[in-house]
Amino acid sequence: MMLDTLGVGLIGTTTAVFNKAVQYSQCYKSEEKSSVWGKSSLTLPPPYAAFVNGIAVHSMDFDDTWHPATHPSGAVLPALLALAEAMPSQPSGLDLLLAFNVGLEVQGRLLRFSREACDIPKRFHPPSVVGVMGSAAASAKLLGLSPTQCTHALAIAASSAGAPLANTTTQTKPLHIGNAARRGLEAAQLAQMGLEGNPGILDMDCGFGVFYSDYNPTEMTQPSTSGFRWTLEDQGIAVKRFPAHLGMHWVVDAALAARAKLEGRVGNFDPSQIREVTLRVPPSKYINCPFPATEHQARHSFQFNACSALLDNNMMVGSFSEDQIGRPALKELLAKVKVESPEDNHPSFDKMYCEVAIETQQGQSYAARCDTFYGHWRKPLSHEDLLEKFRANASTVLSSEGVEGTIDAIGDLERNRDCASLGSYLKKTVQLNE
Amino acid sequence: IMLKELIFGQFISGVKPQHLSSVVLHRSKRMVLDSIGVGLLGSTTDVFELALQHCQHMYAPDDISSVYGRRGTKLSPTLAAFVNGVAAHSMDFDDTWHPATHPSGAVLPALLALSERMPGNKPSGLDFLLAFNVGIEIQGRLMRFSNEARNIPKKFHPPSVVGTMGSAAACACLLSLNASQCSHALAIAASLSGAPMANAATQSKPLHIGNASRLGLEAAQLASRGLEASPLVLDAVTGVAGFSAFYEDYMPQPLTSPNGETHTFLLEEQDMGFKRFPAHLGMHWVADAAAAVHKFIVGIESNTVSPAQIQDIMLRVPHSKYINRPFPESEHQARHSFQFNACTALLDGEVTVESFSPAALRRPELLSLLSRVSVEHPHDNPANFDRMYGEVEVTLVGGDVLKGRCDTFYGHWRNPLTNESLRKKFRNNAGVVLPPENVEGLIEAVEGLDELEDCTPLLSQLQ
Repeated sequence: MMLDTLGVGLIGTTTAVFNKAVQYSQCYKSEEKSSVWGKSSLTLPPPYAAFVNGIAVHSMDFDDTWHPATHPSGAVLPALLALAEAMPSQPSGLDLLLAFNVGLEVQGRLLRFSREACDIPKRFHPPSVVGVMGSAAASAKLLGLSPTQCTHALAIAASSAGAPLANTTTQTKPLHIGNAARRGLEAAQLAQMGLEGNPGILDMDCGFGVFYSDYNPTEMTQPSTSGFRWTLEDQGIAVKRFPAHLGMHWVVDAALAARAKLEGRVGNFDPSQIREVTLRVPPSKYINCPFPATEHQARHSFQFNACSALLDNNMMVGSFSEDQIGRPALKELLAKVKVESPEDNHPSFDKMYCEVAIETQQGQSYAARCDTFYGHWRKPLSHEDLLEKFRANASTVLSSEGVEGTIDAIGDLERNRDCASLGSYLKKTVQLNE
Repeated sequence: IMLKELIFGQFISGVKPQHLSSVVLHRSKRMVLDSIGVGLLGSTTDVFELALQHCQHMYAPDDISSVYGRRGTKLSPTLAAFVNGVAAHSMDFDDTWHPATHPSGAVLPALLALSERMPGNKPSGLDFLLAFNVGIEIQGRLMRFSNEARNIPKKFHPPSVVGTMGSAAACACLLSLNASQCSHALAIAASLSGAPMANAATQSKPLHIGNASRLGLEAAQLASRGLEASPLVLDAVTGVAGFSAFYEDYMPQPLTSPNGETHTFLLEEQDMGFKRFPAHLGMHWVADAAAAVHKFIVGIESNTVSPAQIQDIMLRVPHSKYINRPFPESEHQARHSFQFNACTALLDGEVTVESFSPAALRRPELLSLLSRVSVEHPHDNPANFDRMYGEVEVTLVGGDVLKGRCDTFYGHWRNPLTNESLRKKFRNNAGVVLPPENVEGLIEAVEGLDELEDCTPLLSQLQ
């Protein structure tokens, strides 16, 4: 997860939203300095490094996804790396790994306090709800706070939680993760200075419960007891193959399979021969966008992703550029798309499916269904494919020394005395990139 | 049909000083004065000190925006907005509106901080007042999008919901952003809104206002750099919540844009409540009711009120969990306790700043009275600052029953503080940290704010 997160973060440093955030953040200065990923000499105060790096991670919707739904790593890793750099003595790789897992575990536990959390969200964007709590927990762990301080860190963080879903198909979405990382870090620092919040924050409906309509918190077993299991052991992570909302991965795999069937029968693929394309998808308003106008909308559009996959027989980082979105061939195909939401198609990343049915002018029909896309936790990416994704992403800004160095540093993390080397590889940029 | 967010953006960018009526100018200047005063007093609190140290520890010095009451201490604008906002709300002494929120603390610190940063000429007093009123107006309009907002809150702390939006609007106005940028500022701010009520009777509560101020300023600054967000945030879109995420019953309404015509600001129709002592607004009703009983006892029975005279106390108050605390353990809890405030007013005849000191919290006479209090929630007493009342019924040892009732406390919008009372409160507050010349200088600057060509006299006397 760490490797994937660093890779998507690095490529994310090439986006417009990241640059706006960096420009904004440069008005802040501090004595403690933390690195901005992919920039050989740029540093920022730790909370703002966490902010911009978190934005980078989520800037292209390319980061990891869990069940119940959230993007867990982007809220935690940027905060931890920023904090680690600023600490008087550098934590070991194992300390970093432990804090990271604490940040994930807290998110997983909180998401299980609500059944509504199991479905694709409608109200609050989950990373803004549980992400800031995970960041606070992870930061508190790395700082070595006392149990009481850790409790207050969570309580303080709760007052920084919760961004509405409406901004998720816009340029502001990545700030949800950037702010989760930053404000969780801040909450831990404030708790370290003695700020107190409500220690009952997780028990109360008027506490963390405000973000759910069916809040039902349960006890947590302590790691020292025999019954303890990390949530990550029982529930894996989905890694994306292309930068778009997770739901798009099902429809793309189905579209590619449908196209293969058509090509298998007809011999070639000619979009003008298509009369209609029917998509059978789960009901979810914010990813149902018939004619996306921006890259952010395109990443959240069943229709766009299906058509793009059909036309190109592939989906990549470049599929969401302005030119690609504006292609006449794509627009023509988009006009032929019909969307249905079958009753048995539940809007949950654990249960949903997508079907793509192509009907030709000749009346032939070629349909395919995807229940589990490649990269989903039920069908995880192979190690080689994970490395290939990382290399493709990281090499857009890092030199090969930086790319391979990061892979080695993460691979060996639990044996590293301190994680400073990791930080240094993230700054070994390709010469032209400044 | 125009999207609400675009309409709000047009309003913020299109409204002009001439749209401010004399009533609105007068009322908003009172708010500015009161907010500065409570902020200055608030700069003596622990939570303010903690917030300031945090900023100074985490960030390098940046000599731009003044910190209330600390000569020579300046911070980067958003950080100054943060600590001054924390100060404003640190003692629960700041203004309260209907529907319920504390509007000024979220807006004023951001505007002061931003003004100090603006290069060249500082904004005129009138531009400043316009931006301030925009920040208040936006908050009022947003709260009218929900009926549940009229009642004492249970879920999200209102300043964290509408305060951030108000700060973003005010800053966007002062920065003269265009209509589209103003819209985006609001939308960006929505993703920074919303803190739960549970932290309300704790040391973290003031950060809700500090963060509202800071993050609203940040949203406006990001919008000025071209960051874009959803145009649909203020509309109610089923399945994709925007600002509606914070309410169960969200029904947005249009806002007319003042294109040369007049615009009636909400402040004209709904005045502000100012507190006489630093506690949750609800406490003011029981305090006034209990003070009436105190006066009667002192007038008839003896010179002081002592627990030995009191058999029991019954409070009739609205039902609201977070202000019903029989035995508060901290100053924060005490400021949110019907029981504590009633007993204090019964003993002393009033509640003051000093009533919440550590020594006062532990007084044996007070603790002994607290154990004799019971609370009732009559059906006709709604948890609503416009319609609630407070009744204190005291049974004396001899058997006599004395009753005090308050429907409208002095300071409520129906019975506003006189200008003299407001200035007295300001002098008491500001005088704790500023020399008398600054205190009087600020009063003069605020009272003449709409005529100042440059708001520097306001900015330079805050420390």
